[in-house]
Amino acid sequence: MLTLTPLPIELLSYDDDSKDSRHFSFRLLDPDAMMMPEPGQFFMLHIPGIGAAPFTFSTAPDKKGHFRALIKRMGAVTHALFDCQPGTILGARGPFGKAWPIEQLSGQRILMIAGGCGLAPLVSLIETLLKKKNVQHLALLYGAANASTQLFNPERQRWQQQMAVYNVLEDHSSADPKAQSILTGTPVDVLDSVLEQLDQFPTAVLLCGPEIMMQKVAQQFTSLGLPATSIWLSIERRMHCAVGLCGHCYLQHNYACKDGPTYRWDQFQRLSSTLSAPTNAIASCY
Amino acid sequence: MQFYQLETTLILQQHLARRFQIYQRIDDLEGDGHWQLAAADPLTTISEDLPISSPKGLFFGDRENLFSFDGNVFRETIPSPAPFALFGVQSCDLTAIAYQDKFFVDDPYYQARRQQALLIGIDCLNPCEHGFCHRVDAGPGVATDCADMILHRQPSGNWLLLVSSDKGEEALRGLTLPAADSNALTERKNQLDHCVQQFDDSPTIDQGIEILMSHNIDDRFWQQAGIQCLSCSGCTSLCPTCSCYGTHDIADDKGNIVQQRFWDSCLYESFQREASQHNPSAQAGTRLQRFWTHKFSPQTTAQFGRHGCVGCGRCEQTCPGVIGAHSIMKRLVADQENRDLC
Repeated sequence: MLTLTPLPIELLSYDDDSKDSRHFSFRLLDPDAMMMPEPGQFFMLHIPGIGAAPFTFSTAPDKKGHFRALIKRMGAVTHALFDCQPGTILGARGPFGKAWPIEQLSGQRILMIAGGCGLAPLVSLIETLLKKKNVQHLALLYGAANASTQLFNPERQRWQQQMAVYNVLEDHSSADPKAQSILTGTPVDVLDSVLEQLDQFPTAVLLCGPEIMMQKVAQQFTSLGLPATSIWLSIERRMHCAVGLCGHCYLQHNYACKDGPTYRWDQFQRLSSTLSAPTNAIASCY
Repeated sequence: MQFYQLETTLILQQHLARRFQIYQRIDDLEGDGHWQLAAADPLTTISEDLPISSPKGLFFGDRENLFSFDGNVFRETIPSPAPFALFGVQSCDLTAIAYQDKFFVDDPYYQARRQQALLIGIDCLNPCEHGFCHRVDAGPGVATDCADMILHRQPSGNWLLLVSSDKGEEALRGLTLPAADSNALTERKNQLDHCVQQFDDSPTIDQGIEILMSHNIDDRFWQQAGIQCLSCSGCTSLCPTCSCYGTHDIADDKGNIVQQRFWDSCLYESFQREASQHNPSAQAGTRLQRFWTHKFSPQTTAQFGRHGCVGCGRCEQTCPGVIGAHSIMKRLVADQENRDLC
């Protein structure tokens, strides 16, 4: 039998990152109660009295049960979380969902493309891959609306020592003039230019960000000859149960909580309704 | 399987009432039937008519607690009902229970109730107004693997009782009944065949199902039909296989926080809307497409071994927008014919 009852966690601390996002550190009261997540999996965070929502682990639980998540203030759950003080007891369930296909990425030339807080589900994967010795080709293209909404600045600066990191801003009027290699536009706009700068064309592409951005980038890659089976994306959906029961995260017969949120592009295309093509502008979803 | 003769179903009700709470169809003031706890004295006469509400709420509560939180500890709130019997469930609803048994196989709340339940089915001898159970392998006779006992009214006015599970045999212990005549099963089959022949058997349902299964339907069709969906949730509430739910937190009278789940509807505009306001199914046509292709699709058949619709016809009965099962099938067939002409 599955359980829908959360494990108790303590909010340890938080650090602001950009205008509306914070890194939250939590502690599982029983460090052994949760299975170790793989990069790309998520947990349900319960704010008692308010509700629950899914968030990715930016750092998986360690031996003491400490873990971190980057969370953007968005709806009722996150607004309530931002009002919580360290020491507050909250709830967590997980890990859930399909992880990034880490085995299949071995020996590949990987390009990750993220938009806004879509970088969060890729963070633990990047950290994991950078620790592996056989990863030689790893690049990140990261888009944000403007400098004040860019996330994981220290991490991106650190990663730059080991991998290519391209930053793109729609509006970089407020960007630090000393900051390196800031491109203008969206990841879709600058993709050709970034591909020219890479030593070799990527053999695996991982996407996370606004759905319209992921669709446009994936289409661009397939038109350039990259097989759809070499493109993966992590999608966002509303979730209540995270175990494939409540129905909210459906994609036709699939449930993003169980069968996703990581999908291979060809599989995702088959699940996408032609009636539900996203119409939002990319920046509005950052 | 054991076969017994019953002069009246009250004999069985009286026996079962000693060990089970009995739920039956009880009519409200407007004559609509609902599954409710029946009085033990006097006993309620069995009804052969399909109630407007299915019994799904007795297993998958329309509002039920999942866990409580006292400020430090989360406690699972699994229900522990006394043994109960559903007396006189039609084959469509029993087929739906078997379907939900698979869907909720790992759900502890559903299973806690389901394991306490005894299912006494009743064969339908006359078609109901909107039903098409015979087109979707869900009736009018009760399948022996869907119930613990089956009641069948014979032409004589007596009843044939089939005991189809170990649970049913155990429940019958202590009640001595005469064995049924040797030809009772043949007679049952004949009566059920006769019932099937009485259905208004237009080919539309079969044709509509075939079109839905093919997934070869214009987006335009769903957009147009979606205009008529009022997002009222009448169909999803009455549908015996629908199982979508939402959750919310409330405070109980002891100061604890309780998370409840409640029936939700995939036809609500906000069903998939995220906190960012991104909504993958913002259009009514998208939601309608998913509702019907979830009921009828090769994927559903592969997962559950049958369609997700049991042909009870309640969606047709309740839908104010005239896009219930019969209406949508007629419309699909007409649309296909128009496409073929073009």
